[in-house]
Amino acid sequence: MSTKRTTHRTFLVIVGLAIIALIAVACATPPAPTPPPQIVKETVVVAGTPQIVEKVVTATPPPPPTSAPKVVYISGTQSLTGAYAEDSAAILAAFEDYAKYVNETKLLAPWRTEKFPADVKVEVLWRDDELKPEKALSIYDELKAKNMLVYRISGSPIALALMDKLNEDRVGATSMATGPYLLSPPKTIFTYYPIYTDDLAAIADWFKENWKETRKPRVAYLTADNAMGHSIEIPELRAYLEKIGYEFVGAQYVPLVPTSPPTTQLLWLKENKVDLALGVMINPGSQPTYKEMVRLDMGPNRGYKITFGTGTPSHLQVFLPAMGADLAEGYVVGGGFLGFDDPAPGMKFLNDLQTKYRPTKKVTHVMYVGGLLEAMIQTEALRLAMQTTPADKLKPVDVLENGFYKIKNLDTGGLSATPITYGPGKIEGVNKVRVDQIQKGKIVNVGLYPARGLYKHE
Amino acid sequence: MTLRLAHNLKSAYALDMAFIRTRQQWGWLLGLLVVLVVLPLFASDQILTVLTIIGIAIISVHGLNILTGYCGQISIGHVGFMAVGGYTSAILTAKLGWSFWAALPVAALAAGVAGLIFGLPSLKIKGFYLIMATIAAHFIIIWLVLQFRTITGGPDGMPVPKPAIGSFVFKTKASYFYLVMAITLLATFFATNIVRTRAGRAFVAIRDNDLAAEVMGIRLWSYKLQAFFVGCVYAGVAGALVVHYFAFASVDQFPFMDSVWYLGMLIVGGMGSTVGAIFGAVSLKLLDEAVTIVGPILSAAVAPQAAAALALFMRGLVIAVFLIFEPRGLAHGWELIKAYFRLWPFSFEDAD
Repeated sequence: MSTKRTTHRTFLVIVGLAIIALIAVACATPPAPTPPPQIVKETVVVAGTPQIVEKVVTATPPPPPTSAPKVVYISGTQSLTGAYAEDSAAILAAFEDYAKYVNETKLLAPWRTEKFPADVKVEVLWRDDELKPEKALSIYDELKAKNMLVYRISGSPIALALMDKLNEDRVGATSMATGPYLLSPPKTIFTYYPIYTDDLAAIADWFKENWKETRKPRVAYLTADNAMGHSIEIPELRAYLEKIGYEFVGAQYVPLVPTSPPTTQLLWLKENKVDLALGVMINPGSQPTYKEMVRLDMGPNRGYKITFGTGTPSHLQVFLPAMGADLAEGYVVGGGFLGFDDPAPGMKFLNDLQTKYRPTKKVTHVMYVGGLLEAMIQTEALRLAMQTTPADKLKPVDVLENGFYKIKNLDTGGLSATPITYGPGKIEGVNKVRVDQIQKGKIVNVGLYPARGLYKHE
Repeated sequence: MTLRLAHNLKSAYALDMAFIRTRQQWGWLLGLLVVLVVLPLFASDQILTVLTIIGIAIISVHGLNILTGYCGQISIGHVGFMAVGGYTSAILTAKLGWSFWAALPVAALAAGVAGLIFGLPSLKIKGFYLIMATIAAHFIIIWLVLQFRTITGGPDGMPVPKPAIGSFVFKTKASYFYLVMAITLLATFFATNIVRTRAGRAFVAIRDNDLAAEVMGIRLWSYKLQAFFVGCVYAGVAGALVVHYFAFASVDQFPFMDSVWYLGMLIVGGMGSTVGAIFGAVSLKLLDEAVTIVGPILSAAVAPQAAAALALFMRGLVIAVFLIFEPRGLAHGWELIKAYFRLWPFSFEDAD
């Protein structure tokens, strides 16, 4: 037999073995995680006084349950590949930590008294959709077949591809993307921070409040060149800006992840004497844009006075350390999250979770906050639904109607701008918008403004 | 290497040229049809979705195979032409109320015409420079879609109706699966036959040596543009099927990187082979699905980031491995297997 033939046969055997190995790994069940050491509080009497002491107890495997706990899944699709990879990794970590917390304590948060059903276990089920609609479609089918009762949206492309399907199937989902397309008409995708147009309206409110000159301030859009970025171009936002006294100039677009500095777009703003630039970007877009702005001597305290504000997918907690205090000075974000050092109970809970479940590898990305919020909302929807229907009989429509729609004033410990409320047609969970600005190397909260609900859906 | 059909002598030219030449081949075809008809009765929604997407990818890769595999005109703008087909069909059905069946051929034609326009540079340039021109085609097409917002919906996309015949709407996974598979079979049949036509032979001659082909009397400009037209017609059909499947048209459905992966499918399957186009599309799409399932397991075992970009890594690795160890792709391996069994149980020695 010739050498060439042998090489080909060997190659085919390798390809065959690789396929078998892939299938075998895909069918394998992951090992059960070992419970971490627990801190147990005990009351002991020392010198006649009862005192609480903490003991570190190495967890022993629990006795085999008389009946297997019912399992409900949270999470859904993630985008660990692509532009939102960092955000998604942080969100996924939060989902995992929150599921462990609920399973161990049966509590929903330290400040809440309601308990999660004792015989139900929360598990995280997810897949990487690479931010590709076609992949999201097959993942959705797979997770639906696995009796996933809630879902999540990782970005605008996935929202556009799945929103009608989720609505048809009556599946409630949380969303990391918050464009007005979710409202045309309102479907079954719920947000936990304001939609982008309301973010920008709040920034405009804040800027106008602080406007000292007699002339009208000139505003323009400087936004990402994708569905998310363009979603702010609705007549209602422009009408609102003009109503509160702005002169609208026009729009410029920057690629979602620019490969070169957007000099032309920024010079256009300068030439058109724009005072406030508004847009929606992610950090890989806003950072190089702002850096170029500074290079062109543009900024609130620079040669050419201009303020740049974006909706929340661009995070100040990421922006500031990445850019440094000087370069980041003056940048504004609407609808942002709290910093990790904020004293709010939600942030304390978040830090405690990380200390407990990932003491050596803490997640410092701010979307851990978003992930924790999503996990709390999904778990709350499941808990509420289980009050009317047993876990093993739950259908997605039950979780939507008796879960998501029944969430009223959900206390998130300050993780969201306001407590969260949903209902049929009400998919925007919060009714106020945080506006933060970087001032002298610090993230400063400059106000809390009403979510205007500008987008008028049919 | 010569692969002859053993014990199967042909007594007439027509028999030798027939698309299906042996009873065994008829048997395989019938078996395939039975499997395709019966499959939706047992398969889950996820499997049907994956198979439908594979079917659409096969149609698109057939087009790229005609253009790149047979005619040697490398295109990395194929997904842009899919977008032309997709948006044409979307606009005709959603805005003008056309039936899907009327919109589909118009969409294919529109993509073909776009292919003709962007294929014009191929008359002057080739190789690396043509690659750059086709990349430009993709970005120009997507830019146009984004700018004509009132017609295309711009970045927000537009809802698209599902195909229907009378009152029957192809709404279920199974019905759309049947539709896509029927079109895939037709596309495969035409792709196989195109190569056996005068134009097909001219494509191969141009690919192998365009100077020699021209000297032999082949009009390069005509055949290169024909290859662009036909390849893009396939892309247009695939694009239309994509938007009607999602019931939504959005530029996010036509990412630039998909053009690169379609080329990767050709490399893995085997360029210049209709079977190769099928093998390539099936294997890379299945790899994608396997990686999606493996990702969370790997992530649980190592770290969440371990699953990040796993699909990109695996696809890249597979393409690189094939380029090094089997540049003729899976189709070549398939030919070897067929040759082995053709004379079974007698051993078969390669002539070379």
